[in-house]
Amino acid sequence: MATKELNISPVGRVEGDLDVKVFMEDGVVTRAHTQAAMFRGFERIMAGKDPQSGLIVTPRICGICGGSHLYCASSALDTAWGTKLSPNALLLRAIGQATETIQSIPRWFYAIFATDMANKKFASKPLYQEVVKRFAAYTGTSFQSGVTASGRPVEVYALFGGQWPHSSYMVPGGVMCAPTLKDITRAHAIMNQFRNDWLETTWLGCSIDRYLQIKSWDDLMAWVDENESQRNSDLGLFIRASLEFGLDKFGQGVGKYVAYGTYLHKDRYNTPTVDSRNQALINPSGFFDGKNYHTFDHQQIFEHVDHSWFEHQDPAHPWNEPLPTPVVSQNLENSDFNGKYSWSKAPRYMGYAAEAGPLSRVIMNANPNNMDHQIQDPLFGDIIQKLGPSVFTRTLARVHEAPRLYNYIDEWLSQIRLDDEFYIKPEEKDGKGFGATEAARGALAHWIELEGGVIKNYQVVAPTTWNVGPNDAEGKSGPIEAALEGTEIEDPHDPVEVGMVARSFDSCLVCTVHAHDQKSGKELAKFKL
Amino acid sequence: MVNVLWLQGGACSGNTMSFLDAEEPTVVELVTDFGINILWHPSIGLEIGEQVVDLMKDILSGKTKLDIFVFEGSIIQGPNGTGTMNYFAERPMMDWVKELAAVTEFTVAIGDCATWGGIPAVPPNPSESTGMQFHKKNKGGILGADYVSKGGLPVINIPGCPAHPDWVTQILVAISTGRIGDVLVDDYHRPKTFFTDFVQTGCTNVNNFAQKVDGGFGKRGGCLFYEVGCRGPMTHASCNRILWNRQSSKTRANHPCLGCTEPGFPHHDLKKGSVLKTMKHLGIFPKDVPTGQSKGLYYLRAGWEKILPTNKELTVSSK
Repeated sequence: MATKELNISPVGRVEGDLDVKVFMEDGVVTRAHTQAAMFRGFERIMAGKDPQSGLIVTPRICGICGGSHLYCASSALDTAWGTKLSPNALLLRAIGQATETIQSIPRWFYAIFATDMANKKFASKPLYQEVVKRFAAYTGTSFQSGVTASGRPVEVYALFGGQWPHSSYMVPGGVMCAPTLKDITRAHAIMNQFRNDWLETTWLGCSIDRYLQIKSWDDLMAWVDENESQRNSDLGLFIRASLEFGLDKFGQGVGKYVAYGTYLHKDRYNTPTVDSRNQALINPSGFFDGKNYHTFDHQQIFEHVDHSWFEHQDPAHPWNEPLPTPVVSQNLENSDFNGKYSWSKAPRYMGYAAEAGPLSRVIMNANPNNMDHQIQDPLFGDIIQKLGPSVFTRTLARVHEAPRLYNYIDEWLSQIRLDDEFYIKPEEKDGKGFGATEAARGALAHWIELEGGVIKNYQVVAPTTWNVGPNDAEGKSGPIEAALEGTEIEDPHDPVEVGMVARSFDSCLVCTVHAHDQKSGKELAKFKL
Repeated sequence: MVNVLWLQGGACSGNTMSFLDAEEPTVVELVTDFGINILWHPSIGLEIGEQVVDLMKDILSGKTKLDIFVFEGSIIQGPNGTGTMNYFAERPMMDWVKELAAVTEFTVAIGDCATWGGIPAVPPNPSESTGMQFHKKNKGGILGADYVSKGGLPVINIPGCPAHPDWVTQILVAISTGRIGDVLVDDYHRPKTFFTDFVQTGCTNVNNFAQKVDGGFGKRGGCLFYEVGCRGPMTHASCNRILWNRQSSKTRANHPCLGCTEPGFPHHDLKKGSVLKTMKHLGIFPKDVPTGQSKGLYYLRAGWEKILPTNKELTVSSK
């Protein structure tokens, strides 16, 4: 054993590099800048290429959200080509999206988030010992079972897509696969094991049905105290420890939320168009400004590059954006935050920075105008009023989705009709398309323009773009930048609070935090989180 | 104890996600039971900030022994050979890679990006990406054709987009259990134990291939080679012998093999007509034919098979 206390421990936001510069005064963050530190240029690679390139290329943008990219890429072509989609095709795509997302819940919670709760910062708290026993990396009693359980749902993805990650089984006009009886029965059985091995036993300590009766913050608190099983489940412990550790007290953010929604209903999107998408969603879309809900309209999205390492353009809707032309970048030490400082663009909705992610999704679920076929769940409408956004709220939103997703996957599997169509061959043509979904970590969309039988323009706006994007043209902060402001950092040499804020967004980048003293400008410490 | 350092360059983390789905052994067992000591990894490493830089300095100075250097993702050299499109710990990642490769016992490239550049290296290659020791089919890459690690091997390439978790874990176990001498590599530096057979070996549609029965999307049965671009007969990989996620494989799920373990993926660089379609001469003859056969011989053989009557019993499928 060569070095430090290392061995191995999951931290991480997998993939890419994100640097964060934090300015502090008296231990409180006064200003923060996020810097994405890697450029590959996927949109530029697809220009001039085969119209279906996005089906192969875009899942490889992100190994964690590959199925989500595929959902978008196939939908973008569906709208551009005017395909027909059978109920089976819509069901199998929704199952792919849902299994990828439910996989991510235990994997993210145990491997990325909860190990921070075992940080020495919380050592004086009464629940600390129990948290360490359960959530410590590798040695925690729930750690290995949770990480192992996370591999089960994507076995279902593999039954229909061949493998996870990086399948291309969703294609314009439907899906490649034509499952057989044994694929369906096996999928039911795998999900059932996931429920027995982790979801109801380790995680909830009660049945899915009991958990889904919770409608308000008070209900949730009553659920925790209802019996020992729920109180001592991993969810029960997470809630009690979060409140004891004060995770509900920091990481507020911009207070505005965007969700594109997902899971197109099997009977409501058989003729895919951009305009009919909102009505067809099971998990609804929307924009919540902190008080009011607004109907989602993709035309309200503009990307800014004033602080991004791309040639200047005025803020533009993705269909009107040029392909990105990179300019010379700097490392964090040499960056000028009045100028360009990140490889991420800064997307804005109706001009506002907005948070994407599970919290945005569950807020949309509380919209009183949701239709009968859409999720109607008032819980986070209540929580956002009573507690507001925080590291805790964001994490609770993430894990809250697991029981409902389980039920949907089971229902959708049972609705597949083995004698019906899975694929209707489309006719290729030029035009514009838009495909969107909710990746595990939030709103994801692709915009495509086809001309002369090849891709003319392809634009991807990922949830991490929404969350880690830099300042916009008016100098307003991105969501993580804003969420870091006001955070108290107890030990500047171990700024776990900064890590927890960044992680609560599940940004899919490795973060380097450079803590600077506001007065002297002297660098206190650099941290790879 | 075998010290492993795992870094990512122009990566999507797909190989890491695949690795976390490993079953025999699991990632945890690799650490607890097989003596794999992960010094650092971007998603499962404990060290932070300065500690990572210190760790790498200790490795470079020889204070900490590096047994296996695993690299995932392309090596980004842009713009203009500076590598500054991918900073890591305040330096171009490219510079860390060259220095670490000089001190490690063994270097392992995981996934297509690290082996030969992968999708980022598709023209116009905006990030000037390349692989560790290959650029597409040509030897070279960032480390050069002549590179050998201290342990005496070139870069061990474990391709795939992503690599199957077993291909990764078994090689790590082989090194940790002293079986590196049994790891034979082919012309593209791939371990022969995984990359000698073809994807077609074990494909459930092999009877349909033999009898020239066409398949297609949304259909049960039929071979995907003829219309939707399956590369199973010309791709070396064990996808149909060691299944994915314990359940299936692309071709078993009626998904054409994309040929992702061969240098040059995505083949034909995504040009019009090459994606999920079989490219043909004169609308009849497939441009790419099974490995090991001349085109003329294949066309002759396939032409005969096409006109001979099919044994329907061998090609029946059912829900």
